[in-house]
Amino acid sequence: MAEEIPNLKTLLSSRRGGSSRSRGRGRGFLGSSHEGSEVLRDNAVRGTDQDAAGSRVSCVELGYLHDPYAKLFATQASTRRLPLLNRGTYVRTSAIDNLVDRFMTTDPETRKQIVSLGAGTDTRYFRLRDKYLDAQIVYHEIDFPANTAAKLINLQRHAQLHTKLTPKGLPNPPSLGPAAAEYHSPTYNLHSLDLRSLASASDDTPPPRLPNLDPSVPTLILSEMCLVYLQAPNVSSILSTFLKTYIPAPTPVALVLYEPILPDDAFGRTMISNLSTRNIHLPTLLAYPELGDQRRRLKTYGFSDGVKAVDTYFIWQEWVSEAEKERVAGLEMLDEIEELNLLLKHYCVAWGWRDGGNEGAFSRAWKHVGDQEGD
Amino acid sequence: MSIGGSDLDKAITQLRACRPIPENQVRELCYKARELLIEEGNVVGVDAPVTICGDIHGQFHDLMELFRVGGDVPDTNYLFMGDFVDRGFYSLESFLLLLCLKVRYPDRITLIRGNHESRQITTVYGFYDECLRKYGSANVWRYCCEVFDYLALGALVSGAATSLSPTDGPLAETTNVESLPDSDSEIEIETLNANGEIMYRYARNSDSQSNAVSGANSNPASSSPAAPTPSRTGPAGTGATSSANGSSRNDTGAVLCVHGGLSPLIDTIDKIRLLDRKQEVPHEGAMCDLLWSDPDDIDGWGLSPRGAGFLFGADIVKCFNHKNDLSLIARAHQLVMEGFKEMFDSTIVTVWSAPNYCYRCGNVAAILELGEDGSNAGFVRRSNGERGGGGGGWALGSNDEPNRNGGGGGGANDNRRLSSVLADGMQRMRDGPGRRYRVFEAAPQDSRGMPAKKPVADYFL
Repeated sequence: MAEEIPNLKTLLSSRRGGSSRSRGRGRGFLGSSHEGSEVLRDNAVRGTDQDAAGSRVSCVELGYLHDPYAKLFATQASTRRLPLLNRGTYVRTSAIDNLVDRFMTTDPETRKQIVSLGAGTDTRYFRLRDKYLDAQIVYHEIDFPANTAAKLINLQRHAQLHTKLTPKGLPNPPSLGPAAAEYHSPTYNLHSLDLRSLASASDDTPPPRLPNLDPSVPTLILSEMCLVYLQAPNVSSILSTFLKTYIPAPTPVALVLYEPILPDDAFGRTMISNLSTRNIHLPTLLAYPELGDQRRRLKTYGFSDGVKAVDTYFIWQEWVSEAEKERVAGLEMLDEIEELNLLLKHYCVAWGWRDGGNEGAFSRAWKHVGDQEGD
Repeated sequence: MSIGGSDLDKAITQLRACRPIPENQVRELCYKARELLIEEGNVVGVDAPVTICGDIHGQFHDLMELFRVGGDVPDTNYLFMGDFVDRGFYSLESFLLLLCLKVRYPDRITLIRGNHESRQITTVYGFYDECLRKYGSANVWRYCCEVFDYLALGALVSGAATSLSPTDGPLAETTNVESLPDSDSEIEIETLNANGEIMYRYARNSDSQSNAVSGANSNPASSSPAAPTPSRTGPAGTGATSSANGSSRNDTGAVLCVHGGLSPLIDTIDKIRLLDRKQEVPHEGAMCDLLWSDPDDIDGWGLSPRGAGFLFGADIVKCFNHKNDLSLIARAHQLVMEGFKEMFDSTIVTVWSAPNYCYRCGNVAAILELGEDGSNAGFVRRSNGERGGGGGGWALGSNDEPNRNGGGGGGANDNRRLSSVLADGMQRMRDGPGRRYRVFEAAPQDSRGMPAKKPVADYFL
């Protein structure tokens, strides 16, 4: 898969002008030019997904998380992660589950739309189908073509995934060609595209059409370690496309972000330096270093009815019940307390919404979710 | 073949180059080490001067940096407080080198057991996998684990000087000359950087201590996330104290060194001596607690978030130190961003010797040097009598604001709490030994030989 040069080149061309010269280049040229190094970076970013998948499997196998689908997607041999990483993955996943669950259970009879950016091998759609048997979910995942194609192969290989690709009661989808990178149904959609193509949309060049994306259904956008890899102005443009073009007001729309914070202390500086040796760069980390910056950016995007941001240390302390803490602490002996706390303080969940205020779907869903003090 | 004499020196040379020695040599080395360690008590007696080190965790190149900063064996007398293995990429080379040095210079290096010197923990945190990878079998891991079972549980340092003989080192760039105490002052604490330059110096006299506070604002580590109080002033890690009780005793009690901390089952050092230590670290009980517990800002005892050992408060430490005639407990076990951290009016200190822990945390490391009493012979200690009666004097811990007027503050609170549980005489705490901390950073990247492909996910991606 590393051989493949993602289609983003063609997409970038709308801004850069003329992409054909770089398309289909051999690997030998990579790194020899600015564009080549960008491809290397994109490959590095796409590679992060298997990292996440492996971490998820480790968590499931040790009993931190219940996710029967995780191992179906992991291509790496199952490696047991260190206890602190398992704990961190647990906190991250259960925190986002918490916000999604509250969304799902608010007006449970109405249709709900979820857009997962850079979804990769994420299993949330399948878990939601199991958990909310009667819910009407319109689920969208967006990722690089290489990632969506790999996912589609897995979706067709495993019956327990394949049968969930269509709404309940409808026949299974037909099998797709081996080269397929897209899938669409009334309930599950896999869009193969580079998110940056949404940033370059303008009045003259409308953004790519996302089949089955419903502009009138309350929509939750998820970015778990996705938008953080893009430049801050690009992220603004992408969200503007969502909030103005795809899901225009007054349809309720919300964004949940999971990404690192605090780039300027010793741990943060080391993180940036370590990741850069893997060719991974986190531009928005520098743009929004603290929780207050995260809240402000969400407001700027147009989430005018509420913004909250908490670090994952706060989530472990405040959101996880004592009984659940005890259960999780009992799974593995954890000797890395100081390190874990450092790590947890360097990741945050930030979320904001536009839904017309008090009686809006998101305002009600997240009314009782605690925000962290401090600017 | 037998490992001894020149063979041992060859092995040391090879390990210093970060190259593992053959399996049969490891077996021989471990056998010799066990013969030596079996003769040691649970609590090893060590005479000052000594350099006390905290966790190493397989960061071999940083261990070399430690020897560069602290002096080589046998020139320097070392005491390592455990956690030689796990997490880093070179647990094997680090532990075997320390073990070779122990066998070669048994009186110049003391190794005590950390909670990672255990079969169960090493299978989770990397040492087992590393042995398997480097030798193709678990034999070497097994030999090492047998040595772990014989490591002492603690050490008792006696004969440490109450004040430091000043170094003539140059000042570090960030150090404010004005902030240093007079040259004739009795030096209680000195912090040096890796080049031996003076970063801070504290006299036992309170006045110069409060002078030092302002100078220490330049402390680069004060922006560390580990410090909960952003406005914190004072030197990294220190909770300098004076014994402001009108006492003018100039002897210092012994220093207990243990990896983790205290145990509710242990109230005297003699009780440690009675334990049967030659076994895998149990999941609970006194031996487990000594290797797993942590000091914390609580009263009495608390449950540990680690799932083993306990948390213990200032009252526990002060009571234990008094009862056992200790002036200080030195322990490791907890990552400290500044390399060391004194707590509870300097009755306990955490020393952490793995810089940029796990190649991820961005922390600095430290070692603690205690001088020998002889160097201070005949010195008449300056009396603090005029400041008498005011409780614990000047306290400066990461959670306490220093009280510039002396008397009150966190220290006094601690002592008030203490006085409610202890007899009056208890208030007379032993003066701590003079403490010289050498702070150092991770070895330069190019010399570290970090594998290009890391075996574990380092961050959440």
